[in-house]
Amino acid sequence: MGLGIAEIGAMVGGLIRLGRPLAVVLTTLCQLFDGTVKGYSSSVLLLDRTAARVREAVGPGLPDSYMKQLAAQDAAPGFWLHEVSPILSLTGEPLGIFAVYRRENNTGVTRCHSALMQQFTHVASAAIEHMRSEEALKRSAALLERTQQLSSTCCFSWRVKTDEISWSKELCQLFELDPADVPVTLDLIGARIHPEDLPSFQEIIERARGGVSDFEFEHRLRLPDDSVKYLRVVAHRTSDQEGQLEYIGAVQDVTHRRHTEEALAKLRAELARAARVASLGVLTAAIAHEVNQPLAGIVTNAGTCRRMLAADPPDVEGARETARRTIRDAERASEIVKRLRALFCKKGAASESMDLNEATREVVALSLSELERNKVMVRMELAGELPRVQGDRVQLQQVILNLFLNASDAMSGVDDRPRQLLIRTERDEENRVRLSVRDTGVGFEPQGVDRLFDAFYTTKSGGMGIGLLVSRSIIESHKGRLWATPNDGPGATFSFSIPGGAQDMTAGVSCARNLGAVRTAAVTNAEERHVRIP
Amino acid sequence: MTVMIKRPLVSVVDDDESVRESLPDLLRELGYSVRAFSSAEEFLASDCVGETRCLLLDIAMPGMTGPDLQQELTVRGRDIPIIYITAQADEIVRACSLEQRAVACLFKPFSDTALFEALNAAFGVSRAT
Repeated sequence: MGLGIAEIGAMVGGLIRLGRPLAVVLTTLCQLFDGTVKGYSSSVLLLDRTAARVREAVGPGLPDSYMKQLAAQDAAPGFWLHEVSPILSLTGEPLGIFAVYRRENNTGVTRCHSALMQQFTHVASAAIEHMRSEEALKRSAALLERTQQLSSTCCFSWRVKTDEISWSKELCQLFELDPADVPVTLDLIGARIHPEDLPSFQEIIERARGGVSDFEFEHRLRLPDDSVKYLRVVAHRTSDQEGQLEYIGAVQDVTHRRHTEEALAKLRAELARAARVASLGVLTAAIAHEVNQPLAGIVTNAGTCRRMLAADPPDVEGARETARRTIRDAERASEIVKRLRALFCKKGAASESMDLNEATREVVALSLSELERNKVMVRMELAGELPRVQGDRVQLQQVILNLFLNASDAMSGVDDRPRQLLIRTERDEENRVRLSVRDTGVGFEPQGVDRLFDAFYTTKSGGMGIGLLVSRSIIESHKGRLWATPNDGPGATFSFSIPGGAQDMTAGVSCARNLGAVRTAAVTNAEERHVRIP
Repeated sequence: MTVMIKRPLVSVVDDDESVRESLPDLLRELGYSVRAFSSAEEFLASDCVGETRCLLLDIAMPGMTGPDLQQELTVRGRDIPIIYITAQADEIVRACSLEQRAVACLFKPFSDTALFEALNAAFGVSRAT
């Protein structure tokens, strides 16, 4: 056999490419050596990573029993250890030992050159190194796959210049793409993206092409069976080996989380509305009951009075008495109304010095998910230096939240322009702090501005029509003003301003807080007066 | 010669004083004799239960409610026609009270005509004013 070392290298390389196990490759190598150098048998001892133990031993020309004991380095009967050469990695790390034995019956016809030994050792080293890196790669790929499964995350890379996209197998499954559909293209991805999310997705892609740093966003997929998945994408900007812009990123399937959140938000909204309707209903009934009592007296007395005067002869004295009672009952009714108003606006509640910007940011943070769900883009322009205001933090935040939700609702039907919400705080000439909420919603007719603040006036199908009324009463109790203006373009702007700086706020802050007290009283009342029909 | 016709007795049970004050005058104008009570318990304790031909009864009262009184009267075998009067304008309340064989259920404030019609229904007559 007169194979040159180049041919041997090619043969061994071919086996490796075919994915044959290392033992097979090394056995072939030994056979090739044994065939080239007659009268000698070769073996390879493969060391483990610590280089302290033999991991595998191949020596096709040597007896099995001997190979089993090779660690002990005892020569088998009839074999003379001829030469041993360490197999080293490129970095000099010991990988194994190439050992050549001279057969007893070798009369020295063939010579074993050290140079040949070196060449075989070199091929063995290349084979072992390749296998090792292959194994490491497989292990890390397996680890990655496991990790991806554990965290429901998939990964990708995107070379921006060439639009080359590498995807994990899991990502193909997530997008329900056939892994055979490679290469994955942006068009292929775009076809799966929910049509409503496509514009923002494309916008992000364009921004990324411009080389923004990292990006993060959520979007939905609409799959061929019309089912919808929610994905969260996080990408990190980096460069590939050629120094070209490349993003590597992770995609997480957050569908389950989203569904839970949505169900929770819906439930919360329903609960809030139910509570609002219930307490308002109870409150209304309690007020009606209180006022109807004297009204009944008035109507009865007036009726009696008329009858007494119509009698023949007229009972003037009786009529005068019933008229007196009518007036007395009317005064009583007016007294009840006065008392109710006092209840609604009791004086002397605690108030605190607060930063309206901070309060606004808290409300934005709280309502952001709701606003995002309604596809509302929120922009904040908060004044740098804002005087502190004195007031009831919770109440003012209720007003702000109410303005946000109104704005969001006003934009819910808007599809032909961006749904933008601009929140601005500023200080005006009179040291008052002003907050305005500008939307691009349906707006209102200029002549309709007065009705906006009427009780029970609403343009929303699910609305109660008391939000703005209560908001205005809160702002007025803070010695402030709440008003609405139509925008030059689409939408409306709702603003309030309250005095800035320290001031005496012992009076009138707790109007809406006492509403809670009235409500509680009304509920108790209603329970006390609960009608039992046998 | 005048014949003394005994006027039928209508009892008013209501915790609201202005009702107890105004309603009897109107009822007398309409031709009834009247007794007013501030609670169901007070009415039951009086000597008027047997004589009462019609009961003008408030629904929501502290202590014994109007419906409680109706049930008590049924238990005692007193079949007095009842007209409920209530300041709680609630259609469900009205429907329930009528289901319980009340003659009528008037929401306060009610007109003298409405009261007159309800009384006529209670006495099963149709007379001109």
